[in-house]
Amino acid sequence: MAHAATVGVHGVTAVAEAPIVAEPRRRRPVSWLTTTDHKKIGIAYCVTAFCFFLIGGTLADLMRAELAEPGRQLLTPQTYNGLFTIHGIVMIFLFVAPFGVGFANYLIPLQIGAPDMAFPRLNALSYWFYLGGGTLVLLAGFAAAGGGAKTGWYIYSPLSNLRYSPGVGPDLLILGLALTALATLLSGLNIVTTVFLLRAPGMTMWRLPIFTWNMVITAVLGLVAFPPALAAFVLLLFDRRLGGFAFDPLGGGDPIIYQHLFWFLGHPEVYILILPFFGVITEIIPVFSRKPLFGYTGFVLATLAIGALSVGVWAHHMFTTGVVDNPFFTAMTLTIAVPTGVKFFNWIGSMWGGRIWLAVPMLFSIGFMLNFLIGGVTGVMLASAPIDFSVSDSYFLVSHFHYTMMGGAVFGIFAGIYFWWPKITGYLLSERLGRVVFVFLFVGFNLTFWPQFVVGLRGMPRRIVDYDTNLGWNTPNLVSTIGAGLLTIGVLTFLVDVWTSHRRRTLAGDDPWGGYSLEWATTSPPPERNFASLPRIRSERPAFDLHHPDLQPVAAAEPKANR
Amino acid sequence: MSRARVAAIALLAATASSCSSSFGMPSGASEQGQDIFNLWQVFFWAAIVVAAVVYGLLGWSLLRYRRRRAEPDALGRQFREHIPLEIVYTAIPVVIVIGLFAASISTGDTVGDVTPNPDVVLHAEAFSWGWRFSFPNEGVIVLSDPSGEGVPGPVVKLPVGETVRVELTSNDVIHAFWVPEFLFKRDAIPGRTNIFDVTPTTPGTYHGVCSEYCGLNHAYMTFTVEVVPAQEFRSWLTQQPSESTA
Amino acid sequence: MRYALRYLWCLGVFGLGLGTLYWFLSYEVVGAVALWFFGFMPLIVATWWTLRGTDEALSASDDPEARPQDRSGHAVGSFPLVTSWPVFLAMGVIVIGASLVYGLILLPAGAALFVWAIIGLARETPD
Repeated sequence: MAHAATVGVHGVTAVAEAPIVAEPRRRRPVSWLTTTDHKKIGIAYCVTAFCFFLIGGTLADLMRAELAEPGRQLLTPQTYNGLFTIHGIVMIFLFVAPFGVGFANYLIPLQIGAPDMAFPRLNALSYWFYLGGGTLVLLAGFAAAGGGAKTGWYIYSPLSNLRYSPGVGPDLLILGLALTALATLLSGLNIVTTVFLLRAPGMTMWRLPIFTWNMVITAVLGLVAFPPALAAFVLLLFDRRLGGFAFDPLGGGDPIIYQHLFWFLGHPEVYILILPFFGVITEIIPVFSRKPLFGYTGFVLATLAIGALSVGVWAHHMFTTGVVDNPFFTAMTLTIAVPTGVKFFNWIGSMWGGRIWLAVPMLFSIGFMLNFLIGGVTGVMLASAPIDFSVSDSYFLVSHFHYTMMGGAVFGIFAGIYFWWPKITGYLLSERLGRVVFVFLFVGFNLTFWPQFVVGLRGMPRRIVDYDTNLGWNTPNLVSTIGAGLLTIGVLTFLVDVWTSHRRRTLAGDDPWGGYSLEWATTSPPPERNFASLPRIRSERPAFDLHHPDLQPVAAAEPKANR
Repeated sequence: MSRARVAAIALLAATASSCSSSFGMPSGASEQGQDIFNLWQVFFWAAIVVAAVVYGLLGWSLLRYRRRRAEPDALGRQFREHIPLEIVYTAIPVVIVIGLFAASISTGDTVGDVTPNPDVVLHAEAFSWGWRFSFPNEGVIVLSDPSGEGVPGPVVKLPVGETVRVELTSNDVIHAFWVPEFLFKRDAIPGRTNIFDVTPTTPGTYHGVCSEYCGLNHAYMTFTVEVVPAQEFRSWLTQQPSESTA
Repeated sequence: MRYALRYLWCLGVFGLGLGTLYWFLSYEVVGAVALWFFGFMPLIVATWWTLRGTDEALSASDDPEARPQDRSGHAVGSFPLVTSWPVFLAMGVIVIGASLVYGLILLPAGAALFVWAIIGLARETPD
């Protein structure tokens, strides 16, 4: 069985001069199980992540349906508590992060001019860990003996101790999370090695596309941040199943230690979620403004600063515990707002003096900017410990992180999908339907989450199945649910777009948008080893230089020859 | 009146009201809450200014720099950087952030200040799923029935103008004590006692909730704080069950 | 290659520095240890690399004037286009994990699958 299962077809060496051999495309379904091709794995990540998005979105719709009016109508408290637990895990760890990894897997080798990732089999392994971990999470939520996991996505102790959360749900959740974390960590390893070692001739670090730069920093963050959380999860399992008292005060443990370890991952995690999509829209905005990126060097330095600082802000999630050094974390969190904020000026500078083409990817990028700004300034408010005392753990906080994660990252996901769909599939998605999707998502998103700021300020805490009728929370909640309905229509319209575009198959060609990075210098879809021939690389816009031979390539940041 | 004038007047009215508005935040029924409210207004104004600048520039770019139908492939001005501008637009946020930090620290100090001689001590013990309030110096207890759907939480009265020291802990899992009108919450952690001061300034009835998810009936773990004149508070205390008998 | 080394040193120094600052400001042990570890990990690699010495010649990837045909570097190995060992390895790890929840009876099966797949992966790369 062993030899039949492994088809020993060997590809070209990783770093060497070798002819590109056109391999027959493997169309059998089993090829998805045995592939190590980064493009196939990237697509698998994205498709799987999108399925998890649909699941997480359905859970959200159920919650919003319950919260539309005061009084319990549809769900029991048990069910509701399970829904928000699984919704959080699914959206963060099974949708947004893997989608970033999926884009990275597909694009990084193409953008740096490499035939594949540095560790293709590890790449495949990461995907299967992700799929397995995700399945365990779904089992934890919906098919666990003793009821699904209802600990909240933080899985705080002592609530997650066996005494208060019996059954195997939380154990499955922790296991699934650990596996998914492992997948992301291994992908991070792959990404860093690939970018450091497999760049094409002339593709210096300071000519990398911003998406690749951001993924490198994301990958390093993943490598740094996941181990403490994995330690916390192991200790939790210890407490639950092996009679430990790491976090249980009854045995001399301290639940605050869990929070420190969890948030040491938790905060870099949100940067792991958003940095890829900062990268995505930074690819899109200059292309659709017909200008180079404004301030490339500053942008990279800002992203490095964000990556580094993000490791030092974790306890701003713990201001209300009363046991952390509030001034330190307020200072660090306010500091990190600066490099995050100046990116807006990079983007606006890239549009200034340009010829802006409002194609669908650009619409989503602009939507990203509009939404993320609100997420960002409310984040600055939350950075201040005294303000946090009033708005933490309320719907104000919920709205803040949805503005950054959904208004930001998810809009970035749709921007990236519309931008790279022609490259990946060879045909275009519909501009018309894409605009409809954008309008429904943008209006729906803001209608869903703006009222949540209002109701949070009026005192509505998070994670509650129900609320009293005389608190002034009724109308905003109803409006929010209507917004959720619009969001659902938008997502469904997107699926219709995918279906009809697939039927229609309007061929895209190599470069339908006038793109800048190397993936636009090869066919759509790319051949098996990505490039039949590599162009000369003299700037951060090699495909643009190739397609505009009349213009002299100017590098944004020229490295000195002896660096 | 023409529609344009009506619209202009409406816009002006909305802006004027929001200038003195709380931007949705309660103005604080305690001294500490009012300090936080003032800080909130600083942050909110800073946010409005930043948003106006960014949205303004963005909107201007979208209006002014669109590609022309006649020249779909024309390029924009190919500039890549402007170091002086980049330095300025990095320095200004740094200055803003330093100001916000200074304001936060000053407010944090006054809000977190715990006086050595409080007028009243309130011992708040959270449990799944209810509250056990007691006034140890007066030997009085206010206990809620375990909360559930439709079960009202306990009502605890506090005196206007007196400093109440709250000693907060939990019996089981982590809960949190939040009175939105006081603009303040603190976690109730088993094995720890969190201490903070509240000096109510405005009489009224205020809703309180548990704001740290604690399991099944987290949503129903509410309570009510009534801020009343000191005289009324003391006579209310004498009518509560004493701790030794409860 | 030089860039990687520089970034690792910067990360290491930053992590140790921030951890030390945090320790003296807060005396909170979990965060300080986590930050020190964050600094320590890249320093392991950076120190080893520095002592071993990096390749002084500029690789084509870092040469701003390189042409596509200037690919430098030697073959480090080949990788298979198609292999099923990753699936089996992942299945082994998942079964081991699931055995902690569903019953240790699954543990031997998971461990066997894991070991078999590891051996298969290791033996797969020819030369």
